[in-house]
Amino acid sequence: MLRPSEIAESFRIATSALRVNLMRSILTMGGVVVGIVLVVVMGWTIKGLDAVWERTIGIIGRDMLYMDKWNWAGGGNWRDAEARKDITERQAWLLAERMESAEYVMPLARSWNGSVTLGNKQIMCSVQGTTQSYGNTPAGTTEQGRWFTGSEALQGSHVVVLGHGVNRTLFPDNDGVGKTIKIGGIPYTVIGVVEKRGFIFMDFIDNQVFISLNAFKSTFGFFGRSFSIAIKAGNEKLLDIVRDEARGYLREIRNVPPGKDDDFSINEMQAFDAQVTTIRIVIWMVGIGLTVLAFIVGSIGIMNIMFVSVTERTKEIGIRKAIGARRSSVLLQFLIESSMICLLGALIALPIAQILVGSARWVAIGPLKQEWVSAVSPFIQVDLLFIAIAVSVVVGLLAGFLPALRASRLDPVECLRFE
Amino acid sequence: MTDTPETQAPSQPIIHIEHITKVYEMGNEDVHALRDVSLDIGNNEYVAIMGPSGSGKSTLMNMLGCLDTPTSGTYLFKGEDVKSMSDDELAMIRNKEIGFVFQTFNLLPRATALQNVELPLVYAGVKSSLRKQQAEAALESVGLRDRMDHRPNELSGGQRQRVAIARALVTKPSIILADEPTGNLDSKTGQDIMDLFERLWKLGNTVILVTHEEDVARHARRIIRVRDGLVESDDVTSK
Ligand SMILES: Nc1ncnc2c1ncn2[C@@H]1O[C@H](COP(=O)(O)OP(=O)(O)O)[C@@H](O)[C@H]1O
Ligand SMILES: [Mg+2]
Repeated sequence: MLRPSEIAESFRIATSALRVNLMRSILTMGGVVVGIVLVVVMGWTIKGLDAVWERTIGIIGRDMLYMDKWNWAGGGNWRDAEARKDITERQAWLLAERMESAEYVMPLARSWNGSVTLGNKQIMCSVQGTTQSYGNTPAGTTEQGRWFTGSEALQGSHVVVLGHGVNRTLFPDNDGVGKTIKIGGIPYTVIGVVEKRGFIFMDFIDNQVFISLNAFKSTFGFFGRSFSIAIKAGNEKLLDIVRDEARGYLREIRNVPPGKDDDFSINEMQAFDAQVTTIRIVIWMVGIGLTVLAFIVGSIGIMNIMFVSVTERTKEIGIRKAIGARRSSVLLQFLIESSMICLLGALIALPIAQILVGSARWVAIGPLKQEWVSAVSPFIQVDLLFIAIAVSVVVGLLAGFLPALRASRLDPVECLRFE
Repeated sequence: MTDTPETQAPSQPIIHIEHITKVYEMGNEDVHALRDVSLDIGNNEYVAIMGPSGSGKSTLMNMLGCLDTPTSGTYLFKGEDVKSMSDDELAMIRNKEIGFVFQTFNLLPRATALQNVELPLVYAGVKSSLRKQQAEAALESVGLRDRMDHRPNELSGGQRQRVAIARALVTKPSIILADEPTGNLDSKTGQDIMDLFERLWKLGNTVILVTHEEDVARHARRIIRVRDGLVESDDVTSK
């Protein structure tokens, strides 16, 4: 067993050796510094991605389900989906009536490519016909004006709530509420604007306009359209119950025989997670590859300098052994020295990484949306600091092992004869 | 322990070696540094190992100090067979039982006198405060209390050797082994160091010193003469 006094001595030796050979040590640290910068920047990037993603999903809510003819994630067989019968208005309303466990069940009709015009400004965007209650969900929360009322929905009044992106395009001065635009050539009064909702992968959410189902029917008609049903469970924990209930009823409503597959898809927010995971994996693979390379180069440098250090201090090793240092003591002395070199590398790397991370974020504020950037921490996270430190120590231990082992096995008599 | 008559004798020797040899391989040539050495050294002896350069004195001293192990023969240190000890056990013996003093002092250049003297206690696992206290006492006993914070290069040769002696003393070892301790000192300083050994011996320490100088050997109470790896004579001097 190593004694505390020996361990303390090892640290003392290592710091003094480092001080004496500071320049040499710093020069050999290059690889380790690069490796640690890479680890930290990579970790930060992935965390940033996750944070942006969580913010995106978090606003819509992980408790949302979309019953649809199509599978959004593109999974399953596209031809199978195409062969499915459309979800009709009647089926959508039947489901809405029967569902009991969910907070909101909202039939939706959609025209993916509706024309929306203001004067001679025209954009093509998704026009969504939906219910009054959609205005109570996060996806329909207005930042200006209001959602349409139950009676407006019933009457099919030509009132429209704009998505955040559409509002910004049509009304850069943010003065759209009360103005009239044309949807599918029909005049509509803008009564509200929805808060910004879409971030990564979900930009389309902001590029749509919302009208009541009856207004949709009069402007676009329901013929040849498959309805979706947006279901807000109200609570992520209820999701399983709500999903089961919705599936059961919709199968019943669409007369799916027992034992047959669903002839519809249940789309959930998780469907998008796969895309994030892919990006995350790509970052990891590139990052890990570069990091391992940097650490290999770094370790070789450190191993080399440690062998030099052992040779330079042969006499010292002899003296220490003569007065009673055991093998483990000498081993520890050099292991601590090599890990401290790497630790010093980490201390150099961390500010560099912080500068990189900070500037990356600062640069991103220009071209990227403020909302994304604000979700990303401007600082290296504490756990990344610890990971960096742990990794550097491990690299130090590995790189220092062979030199330290050699030192510990030196014959004291030979060492003392060494000049 | 072994039941040999030696170990049962009333005054068991600290060192008992029998027919020790040491052969170094130099390329394809064997160097017989020790050919056949047997001797006993008891408690509170003051022994000089004498002989011309290359006769095997240092080899013998390294052997006695458990720094090296014999090629053949038996070495019982306080009745225990050194051959059966592991590297770490030998290190422990060197730490607790042996105090080395070398011709070239062998101090750590970057450590202060106090830190140098503390070092054996570090490896003995003594706590920092006690360590400091004991090291200070050892430095005091060699008259260097006021030089504790000096590094070796700030000390004279004689002072360095005193630090080395303090380091050898600090663990209160069974024997002090000194290999040509005055070899790098002028005769006046050498005399001071010899006086110090004399005093240590009188205080009850066992002192073994290696030298090729008659003047130095004369201080001891027993002189073992070595030549070509063999003991030539082993006499108690009258004094
Ligand atoms: N480590 C070693 N390797 C090879 N030969 C050695 C070694 N140590 C000592 N010798 C040889 O052993 C003989 C005795 O050396 P040593 O004990 O140092 O003599 P002394 O101290 O009496 O001058 C010499 O011939 C020397 O060259
Ligand atoms: Mg010699």
